[in-house]
Amino acid sequence: MQPTAQGFARSAQKALNDKSLQAALGRTTGRFLDHRAAAVAAFPGFEAARQRASEIKLESLSRLDQYLARFIEEAERKGAVVHVARDAAQAREIGARIAREEGITLSVKSKSMAAEEVSFNAALEAAGVEVVESDLGEYIIQLAGEPPSHIIAPAVHKTREEISRLFERKLGEPRTESIPELVAIARKHLRAKFLGAGMGVSGANFLVADTGSVVLVTNEGNGRMGTVLPRVHLAVAGIEKVIPRMADLPTFLRLLPRSASGQTLSSYTSILTGTRREGDREGPETMHILLLDCGRSAVLEGKYREILKCIRCGACLNTCPVYQSVGGHAYGWVYSGPIGAVLTPLLVGLPEAAPLPDASTLCGACAEVCPVKIPLPDFLLELRSDLRDQGLKTPGEIAGMKGYAGVMKRAGLLEALERVAGLLSQLFTKGKPVEGLPYPFSGWTERRDFPAAAPQPFRKQWKIRRGAGG
Amino acid sequence: MTGVSERHLLFRRLSAALGRHGEPAGAPHPAEPTSSAADADGRNVRFSRALAATGGVVLSGPPEEALSALGETLRAEGVTALFFPPEDGDARRVAEALVPFGPFSLTTGEEVRGGNPAATAGFRTADAGIAETGTVVESSRGGKTLLPGLLSDVHVAILPGSSIVERMDDAFALYADDPPRNISFISGPSKTADIEQTLTVGAHGPKKIIVLLV
Repeated sequence: MQPTAQGFARSAQKALNDKSLQAALGRTTGRFLDHRAAAVAAFPGFEAARQRASEIKLESLSRLDQYLARFIEEAERKGAVVHVARDAAQAREIGARIAREEGITLSVKSKSMAAEEVSFNAALEAAGVEVVESDLGEYIIQLAGEPPSHIIAPAVHKTREEISRLFERKLGEPRTESIPELVAIARKHLRAKFLGAGMGVSGANFLVADTGSVVLVTNEGNGRMGTVLPRVHLAVAGIEKVIPRMADLPTFLRLLPRSASGQTLSSYTSILTGTRREGDREGPETMHILLLDCGRSAVLEGKYREILKCIRCGACLNTCPVYQSVGGHAYGWVYSGPIGAVLTPLLVGLPEAAPLPDASTLCGACAEVCPVKIPLPDFLLELRSDLRDQGLKTPGEIAGMKGYAGVMKRAGLLEALERVAGLLSQLFTKGKPVEGLPYPFSGWTERRDFPAAAPQPFRKQWKIRRGAGG
Repeated sequence: MTGVSERHLLFRRLSAALGRHGEPAGAPHPAEPTSSAADADGRNVRFSRALAATGGVVLSGPPEEALSALGETLRAEGVTALFFPPEDGDARRVAEALVPFGPFSLTTGEEVRGGNPAATAGFRTADAGIAETGTVVESSRGGKTLLPGLLSDVHVAILPGSSIVERMDDAFALYADDPPRNISFISGPSKTADIEQTLTVGAHGPKKIIVLLV
């Protein structure tokens, strides 16, 4: 997928003006947050599992070469063919080659952010394959020709009316206001695709090194259908998805659904190991596993290694005040919210995604909910310094921050400025918030009011109060 | 063989990124502490409660009563055809015993896979149950079919109480040595909330999961 993160400000403005998107976002993120909070409260072991999951992921990453080698060895021993792609172009080339060599004309795909990263569908389509997204949300946005806007709820921005109009136009189905009827329509159309597809493309929530297994977690059951019925199974996954042992899975399964949707466990967890065995009644004859580097080995090397712990639950999106306001599309690539604001610059390059590290209030809510304890706010701050180091900040902003730092380090100067500000505030706005400032400060006051300065500096008030309190 | 050389290059990049070569892998983490008592009766109760929380249904008790309740549920769901793996004796017995309880015909997994449009109930003996999560575990171990839990409108899993384990860890331990191609954890009906965050059952798989505890 081509990143368009540079247009964050414009896209965000558009999202803020979109009334139906705003309603959908409020509803979705609020519900996810409530469900998550209830699930976490009902599970006393949550903190311990979080700590353990973080440690397991760190261990996997610190020996990624070994665990990945083990994974490849085990998967191949069980009949899978493992491919490695350095970048998106190579991933597409491998995907197209597999489709051609296997003689595939119809493929059902379950959700994979990794596949989205490399525009995998486009490659298969160019090779003459009809690719059908089988996750309901993905199916809807595929019909609409749009990118997903939420990691686990890609069609949050669509209302039932819009979806019904889409089904009418694309599938020739009668209009309905009923959500169960809409689901039934999709079920009918997709069932035929599952039964007819030669290949199922999936992502992977986890790759298990000691067994060579691919693990998929879904609620709809599409991941299961697409990996049981078709003749070929192709799994696309980032190299960082590997965990050491099957015995580590319960820890992650206790965290992922609770963090994502507030469920104890999603409806379906599939553990897929190699090809169909002799005597098996179903299962793929051929299994391909496509491992993507696509910038990950470089991230592994640097100070942002821990971002690769991410298990893609989406909790940081739901809890983020910026995401809650602007939704997923504004982030301009596959990943949105705090994880997107960190991961996108690291995978596509900071110049291509320069506005994203600033798309945060640094409130810290994301770090509080992250099930694998990624220090997201620290990384956002760090990326802001990288922006400066790489010459991607304007001289005005650098000068402004320098001035700010200079003042904050000198208590007397700060107090003097506070006095002046207090005086000006009394003079111009009579102690009310400032609604409009001249350029360049208008950038701030266009969308919010600047709080009025207090009539007296803080330090003075402090002295008086302390004096009064003895 | 671009694949081989790309793999080699990847491992070169990884070793460079990690700044070292060939450190031994660490010792496994200790298991998380187990939560509750190992009493079998309590475990079945915990399993039933957890399954109910996912929207699943547990039937137990005298066979005649359970069959009658099951027949009623299937009729209410509009089921007209039943299928089961031919070699699964328990599933066959339950399905065949159900025929008199409704206008049910018997069909096969192959016919359902062929696109038979009848509303079906698929029967299968489960490998295990997990009390922690209310999960039914079904796998392709021993050549068993997954179709009854996959393609049916209502899935009836037959589960011996003795096959219920306490935690997910115990279930994975059943397979860790040599996992079959397909292990499926089923925790409730197929569902989606992709349209307006409204939970709706029957996205792709069964709209209802019924566990017959035997």
